[in-house]
Amino acid sequence: MDDEVIVCRCEEVTAGEVRAAIRAGTRTIAAIKKRTRAGMGLCGGRTCARLMARLLAEETGLPAAAVAPPRARPPVRPVPAAALAEED
Amino acid sequence: MTMADVIVIGGGPAGLSAATTAAAHGARVILVDEQAIPGGQLSKQIHKFFGSREHLAGTRGFAIGRRLLEDALAAGVDVRLGRAAYAAYPGTGGEFEVAVYGGDAATGGSRAARLRGRRLIVATGASENPLAFPGWTLPGVMGAGAVQTLVNVHRVRPGRRALMVGSGNVGLIVTYQLLQAGVDVAALVEAMPRIGGYLVHAGKVRRAGVPILLGQTVLEASGDGRVERAVVARLDERGQAVLGSERSFDVDTICLAVGLSPWLELLLILGVRTAYIPALGGHVPLHDRDLQTSVPGLYVAGDVAGVEEASVALEEGRLAGMAAAESLGRGDRVALARAKLEVAARLDGLRGGPFGAARREAKARQVNELSGAPPLSPAAAAGPESVPASRADGRAGIPGRPRPVAVIECYQQIPCNPCETACPRGAITIGSPITNLPKLDVDACTGCGLCLTACPGQAIFLVDRSGETATVTFPYEYLPAPEVGRRVTAVDAEGRPVGEAAVTSARMTRKTNRTWAVTVTVPHAYAGVVRGMLRPRR
Ligand code: FES
Repeated sequence: MDDEVIVCRCEEVTAGEVRAAIRAGTRTIAAIKKRTRAGMGLCGGRTCARLMARLLAEETGLPAAAVAPPRARPPVRPVPAAALAEED
Repeated sequence: MTMADVIVIGGGPAGLSAATTAAAHGARVILVDEQAIPGGQLSKQIHKFFGSREHLAGTRGFAIGRRLLEDALAAGVDVRLGRAAYAAYPGTGGEFEVAVYGGDAATGGSRAARLRGRRLIVATGASENPLAFPGWTLPGVMGAGAVQTLVNVHRVRPGRRALMVGSGNVGLIVTYQLLQAGVDVAALVEAMPRIGGYLVHAGKVRRAGVPILLGQTVLEASGDGRVERAVVARLDERGQAVLGSERSFDVDTICLAVGLSPWLELLLILGVRTAYIPALGGHVPLHDRDLQTSVPGLYVAGDVAGVEEASVALEEGRLAGMAAAESLGRGDRVALARAKLEVAARLDGLRGGPFGAARREAKARQVNELSGAPPLSPAAAAGPESVPASRADGRAGIPGRPRPVAVIECYQQIPCNPCETACPRGAITIGSPITNLPKLDVDACTGCGLCLTACPGQAIFLVDRSGETATVTFPYEYLPAPEVGRRVTAVDAEGRPVGEAAVTSARMTRKTNRTWAVTVTVPHAYAGVVRGMLRPRR
């Protein structure tokens, strides 16, 4: 994957930016997310999390099995905040 | 707050069959799905399904989805469509709470609500894997699921000319559906050196003349504001593009069908233990023989438990539904035990053959890891054994025989038997396991052709060598409708034009379910070669 290729299309984060974050020491998808915003878009990382996992494995030499899926937190589908407040 | 015995999240084949089964055994069941149309991925499928009668084989996908919904409603399941489960929490008394968002005008519009259930069955399916390359964010690059929604549900063509990436069953089937919709498919590229899906699916695409480029991948897409071309290159053994092998295709659509991964998020929130098992799509939840996860009372079924097929999803749903009902003390214990064994046996059958071997081993590992048994050796990496793409030989049909005879070109052990069921003479035998290759008793075959339109793989042909000229009958599913008397260009199994032929018959009945049986007249020498005809240009 070339550095200019977009990894997270929701937040427009490139492979180069994710690699830079990994080189700076991030070792989990959650950490990459906090540093780059990749995975924080509307799709909730459904598209890009697997690409981040691949970059993480490539850059660190970790086996794919060792890269845990990103932590999941509610809401896992887009829900308006107002609806959450009125949950019954 | 609503309290149910069992909550099922997901209205695909696994969720619907789980809900129906649990309800049939006396449980109060609520099922939620974020889509308004039932059936999950089935709702987008217009091809005939594989499997056996228990899996509604030979039925087109969307019709299976509707049938399953009717069954669920008839069993008394409280089906709530158009509601997305956005969170799940453990309750205080061992039960589960599921937060859903959605609704319709009748219920006062979309709102957030909580459901409570003593058992939870998660059947959320899988999501598509991405493939990133320069230009992949251009409009015109889309996943196979999106293409199916456009073409099969909304009847909108995504473009005029497409490049398909990935030769698994999804890539092969969607290529066929694009062709049926009148979209040109320039080529299908596959990074691996072999076709990933069933050869019978590949056969449909090949007969239509679409080149399948093995060991190649898409390097980049480009165009002014949208896809106008794609560059494809060969890959070396290390998976690197070979310099100088680039080829450009003028396409406006690039369809990605590069695999699925289980959609685990709700399970992860609930803290299930997972394992990384590539043969099942990556990270999967561990579960026991009853499909119960490491969290007591929480079950999985279908693709979320490991990416397999719709027939497997149906059976897993039944199993999870029975297990959940049983754990609540519902149903008849002896009958349930027997029924569970039957499902387990059918699941074993579906995971037989060369395609199922890796998955069967992977499933065993998934179960054993949870029970603390030592993990098995890594799943067999070997793919399905390679089989020649076409074995059409000149011997098909029997010279001098007074009637047509079926020619079955099915060479891979896949779990499927509608041909056996369709034959009124019992001339075709598959038996058990369901992955056996069909055996034809040539003397019993009357050449009626019922198997030809029943075969979801379109791998059966009729050859009649009794007359002056021979005839070949093949299945056909393109528009415009074939016309009797028309001269057409006959093609071989690879879609290569063989010569001109006249259509002498084109039959479609309710029974053949929108598949024509087209008969063309050809010289005897070509009876073993001709397997279809060119689609007329629109
Ligand atoms: S692609 Fe990254 S959040 Fe959607």
